[in-house]
Amino acid sequence: MKSAPLSLDALQAAVQQLPESALTASRHAALEHFRKHGLPTVRDEDWKYSDLAPVVDISNRWLADAATSSPSAAAAAAITTIRNSIEADWLVIFGGQVDAKCFDGFDQAGVRVSRLSDSAENISFDAPLSDLNLALLQDGLRIHVPKDMESTTPIGILVVDEAIASPGMSQSRIEVELEAGSTATIIEYHASVGSADQYTNSVVNLRLGANARADYVRIQDRSLAHIHTSRLAVHCERDSVFNHSGFDLGGSFVRNDIVVDLAQAGSCATFDGLYLIGDKQHIDNHTRVDHRVGPAESHQEYRGILAGKSRGIWNGKAIVHPGADGTDAEQANHNLLLSDNAEIDAKPELEIYADDVKCSHGTTVGQLDETALFYLRTRGLSKREAQQVLTTAFAQSIVSKAHSDAVRDFLEQKVAQRLGEMMQGAES
Amino acid sequence: MLQINDLKASIGGTEILRGLSLTVNAGEVHAIMGPNGSGKSTLAQVIAGHADYEVSAGTVQFEGKDLLELEPEERAREGIFLGFQYPVEIPGVNNAYLLKAAVNAKRKHQGVPEIDAFEFLKLAKEKMALLGMDPKFLNRGVNEGFSGGEKKRNEILQMAMLEPRLAILDETDSGLDIDALRAVAEGVNALRSPDRAIVLVTHYQRLLDYVEPDYVHVLSEGRIARSGDKTLALELEEKGYDWVREATAG
Repeated sequence: MKSAPLSLDALQAAVQQLPESALTASRHAALEHFRKHGLPTVRDEDWKYSDLAPVVDISNRWLADAATSSPSAAAAAAITTIRNSIEADWLVIFGGQVDAKCFDGFDQAGVRVSRLSDSAENISFDAPLSDLNLALLQDGLRIHVPKDMESTTPIGILVVDEAIASPGMSQSRIEVELEAGSTATIIEYHASVGSADQYTNSVVNLRLGANARADYVRIQDRSLAHIHTSRLAVHCERDSVFNHSGFDLGGSFVRNDIVVDLAQAGSCATFDGLYLIGDKQHIDNHTRVDHRVGPAESHQEYRGILAGKSRGIWNGKAIVHPGADGTDAEQANHNLLLSDNAEIDAKPELEIYADDVKCSHGTTVGQLDETALFYLRTRGLSKREAQQVLTTAFAQSIVSKAHSDAVRDFLEQKVAQRLGEMMQGAES
Repeated sequence: MLQINDLKASIGGTEILRGLSLTVNAGEVHAIMGPNGSGKSTLAQVIAGHADYEVSAGTVQFEGKDLLELEPEERAREGIFLGFQYPVEIPGVNNAYLLKAAVNAKRKHQGVPEIDAFEFLKLAKEKMALLGMDPKFLNRGVNEGFSGGEKKRNEILQMAMLEPRLAILDETDSGLDIDALRAVAEGVNALRSPDRAIVLVTHYQRLLDYVEPDYVHVLSEGRIARSGDKTLALELEEKGYDWVREATAG
């Protein structure tokens, strides 16, 4: 598919129209960087399965008629529902704007939250979509957990977007720093309201100081008309622990990048993910972990269930840099295809430049076990129930690993509900 | 209760059952014996409704209904239970969940309200005690990491909870130590009643010391070659299956 490039003139005009704030200089720097490098194409190895044409198309349409709005009653209700479903201290970004009101209710002594429009220091942009994000960023969140602080309640970040009549587009950016010895649970939840096309582009930068620990849950629960890209970059210092579980429940075209930098010895990153891909959906998960020194560990398990005419991509890359002896890197990716028209491209990649390392990867693609289906049916479960039981069990192994009690029950229900929809869609 | 008439069935183009007829009445216990490959397991799978087996001729009636027209789950809800020779491990599906779903599928079919959580737990624990099963098995994945004996006890537990009209136990005795065999036999005997029938598919006579059958049938090459009472099983044990083959050929 050959489409028009992203209109740089319209982009520049949009950047100039954004209100002056601490972000202004960074926006212009990001714009210049973007102007030089542009967006990747399918000729780039990392993007060969995900053509960004839908992103370019909606961006151009939105830039031609940029509009922002405040939450409708429906959006306000959606926000309330999510806030009430998961126990956390919630911060809200609506349509790319930080809801300053939620700072008042944020009740964690010691944890500092602020807006990037007030203070834009140490904001990095090192990837094309991150450039675009910063150039068009209205506002973002900064979360700072001071040294040795143990955050008691999960910190929730709710990113909600609404597009009712015209196409919507928004940028969200969260800069998180956990200082040495601190711990926090972070829940990042993306939701959408309205049935018009939307594109949201999320960037999260997370820095973990020595001995810090982050339990991170990312829930992408966008509408099926929604284009979503995300980039989560994590920097791990000595003996820090990063635990991540990602859940893709919605979206029409989705690309997630997780980039983990194990910069110092003793750090450990575990990142798991579950993607549920129904008819007409395209979901691409790329992960990259850099083992710069040893010993350090990375473990990842992604699981996917695909139905209807759908496309999934999992690409897990682990790079063991020269001298990173004592590395333990493990990758697993398992896929369940419920339809003949579903396609998964699974690609584990290990690049090893050190000697004393332990690396493994395993990928499977399969269908529901016919023997197990028959067994369940001989116990009186209908074919449909048996299929649902088995797919739910397949997904459950990732849900049960989510490092937050607050979200596990919620996710169990969400996953069961989405699987039900997918399987119903596959039948009709 | 069950009438099988001149049943022929094949898998992957190979005919296994070659005109098998059998009648089982309520209150009876039948043992079906025979050498490997004689069609014992095929018969069990065809009655349960496994899609891989193709029935080319004959009829199977269960309480007057054409069984071959029913889906496996419909047969189960009508009261047919198959105890698997190789119970399937289903990681991630809770044993209690499956038991409850199975009980409720049947109840729904009968127009009876679903079992409540308390009643279910009480019943399950009662049946488990009878089978010498630790209640912690309720919270494990279905057969996940179970030993051979534990899997077979779990099959009997499912049967005990479902209280079928017709239970077919496919080599439930194979691979069991004596304690497990006794427990399984006790579970089967507890289910014997005038309105229920049990079919034991077995290779050895051993189980029949504990569950005494009313009839014994010997399968050979997809047909019943010989029928008799429990003494037939003893005779078989003594003379071996070649004796039946020779007798049939002659």
